[in-house]
Amino acid sequence: MKRLLAWWTEERRAYLLLVLPGVLVYWAVMAFPTVFSLGLSMTNYNGGVIFGNPNIQFVGLRHYLRMFNDRYFWISLKNNGLIMAISVFGQIPLGFLFAYVIHRKLIKFGDFFQTIIYLPCVISTIVVGRLWQSFFSPYGPFTKFMQTFQPGWENELAYDPQKAILPVLFVILWMYTGQYMIIFLANLQKIDPSLIEAARIDGASEWQVLTRIMLPALSGVIVTACILAISGSLKSFDLVYAMTAGNPARRTSVLALYMYDTAFKHSPNYPLANSISVFMVLLSFILIVLVRITEARFGGREE
Amino acid sequence: MKTATATRTRIRKTDFHPVLRVFVYTMVLIFTVLTLYPLYWLFISSLKTNTEFQLNMTGWPWNPTLNNYPTAWRLAQFDTLFLNSVFFTVASTILVILFSLMAGFAFAKIRSKATPFLHGSFVIGILLTLQSLMVPLFLMAVSTNLYNTRLGVLIPYVGMGMPIGIYLCTEFIRSIPDSVVESARIDGASYFRIFASIIAPMTKPVAVTLAILNVSGVWNEFMLVNILVSSDALRTLPVGILKFSGPLASDHGRQFAALTIGLVPMVIFYLVFRKQITKGVSAGAVKG
Repeated sequence: MKRLLAWWTEERRAYLLLVLPGVLVYWAVMAFPTVFSLGLSMTNYNGGVIFGNPNIQFVGLRHYLRMFNDRYFWISLKNNGLIMAISVFGQIPLGFLFAYVIHRKLIKFGDFFQTIIYLPCVISTIVVGRLWQSFFSPYGPFTKFMQTFQPGWENELAYDPQKAILPVLFVILWMYTGQYMIIFLANLQKIDPSLIEAARIDGASEWQVLTRIMLPALSGVIVTACILAISGSLKSFDLVYAMTAGNPARRTSVLALYMYDTAFKHSPNYPLANSISVFMVLLSFILIVLVRITEARFGGREE
Repeated sequence: MKTATATRTRIRKTDFHPVLRVFVYTMVLIFTVLTLYPLYWLFISSLKTNTEFQLNMTGWPWNPTLNNYPTAWRLAQFDTLFLNSVFFTVASTILVILFSLMAGFAFAKIRSKATPFLHGSFVIGILLTLQSLMVPLFLMAVSTNLYNTRLGVLIPYVGMGMPIGIYLCTEFIRSIPDSVVESARIDGASYFRIFASIIAPMTKPVAVTLAILNVSGVWNEFMLVNILVSSDALRTLPVGILKFSGPLASDHGRQFAALTIGLVPMVIFYLVFRKQITKGVSAGAVKG
């Protein structure tokens, strides 16, 4: 008892009380659900009382097998892959280009363009989704625009299962390029201007400044941007939900929407939904570890 | 100053190839038009009656009318939506900042063997997507009777803001010299006293960054309220707006009015706090 009291110092008490509220809330909504869904994904629990329910049985990996045999799972995964590709190969390069020309003052009105390009990021994805859905719909300006070039052009974007994902990808590119621009811009500003000045005086061309000074200094930020793009693409739910709700025929679904439909549409299938949840958490960790490994192997030029 | 201007002129003349320059200008102009035109179209469409919209989809309204606004406001219950959005945003922001500063202070200034593990668990959370946890969160809310309650939405909002909050606060408080805390300890101040009267007042910059990140995150958040709440009285703006102007909306004028109402607050917030928002976003984009 005495030892316990000696251990229980003011310092320890203060630490515990200061840390507790944050840890409790965070663990309850982020750490616990991860473990919870892993557990439930291997049972037959499908609604009702969870704790002390005698009917819940362990069923192993059955739901995972079902998930891998579901064609909508693969359609959704493919769409997540497309979103990831448009982020890594579209948003990041464009964001970098904009940040670079604005930072080096290679274009006029840089401040104005910066404000406008970032603007979509602050608007609610729901408003953005509905607005662009109307924009691309048969009654929207896009149809009108196409018809001025091709009279009689018919807008099938909403019905054609092959093309329906294109507007979604376009909106994602339009919406988040500004985010990467802002991140690159903030980090470009950290590079010592006298370094560039000196290089210029020594006769380096703009191209050399870019490839020898700017890009190496930003290699860490580029990795961070890729990680953001990967976790961001797995987050995509709101925009797709507001724009297409996964239609036509669930061809524009993404993993989060696939999970949502499984759990909340028609007859709920919670075990399958929990399996999807676990798969998504695992996938994001695997992808991020892969980026880290790539960085460790090929990067490392960062000071 | 002179050298800087000289360098700049040299960049323009020798290096920035005309073709490249045309390309760059084209790209920024495309982005600008693609941002401004849809917003313009949204606004002018909200000034049309439904009948006029059918006949005149892209042109300037023949008889501009603001009638759609009061109707949309009433039908979509914007009073309730705004109140709920303000409540969740303000309450979660205050709690995230408070909890993050408290824990950040403990992690940064009180030595403990638990810190690497606890702090690490938050850093992992920066990459965890709440979207992947919506079904377990829903099941938890139902089994704890927090479904359809304010608290049931508020707790996830606070938890969702914690990882980046803890990360930024710990970094910030670490940069405050240890001697500040030590000398106060020697004077006999308790850790809570040090936190409240010395540390907290110094943390204004990081609190502002966190507030900006959290306000824009929670104000626009849709998924959680959508799955954790079914009653009209608890809906927030994004959920209410989607319900009103979703795929089933038949009156386009009102639908566009509702979207405009939903859009305006964030655009104003952005134009007013532009500098702080861009700073906050780049500070929030930390390595996982």
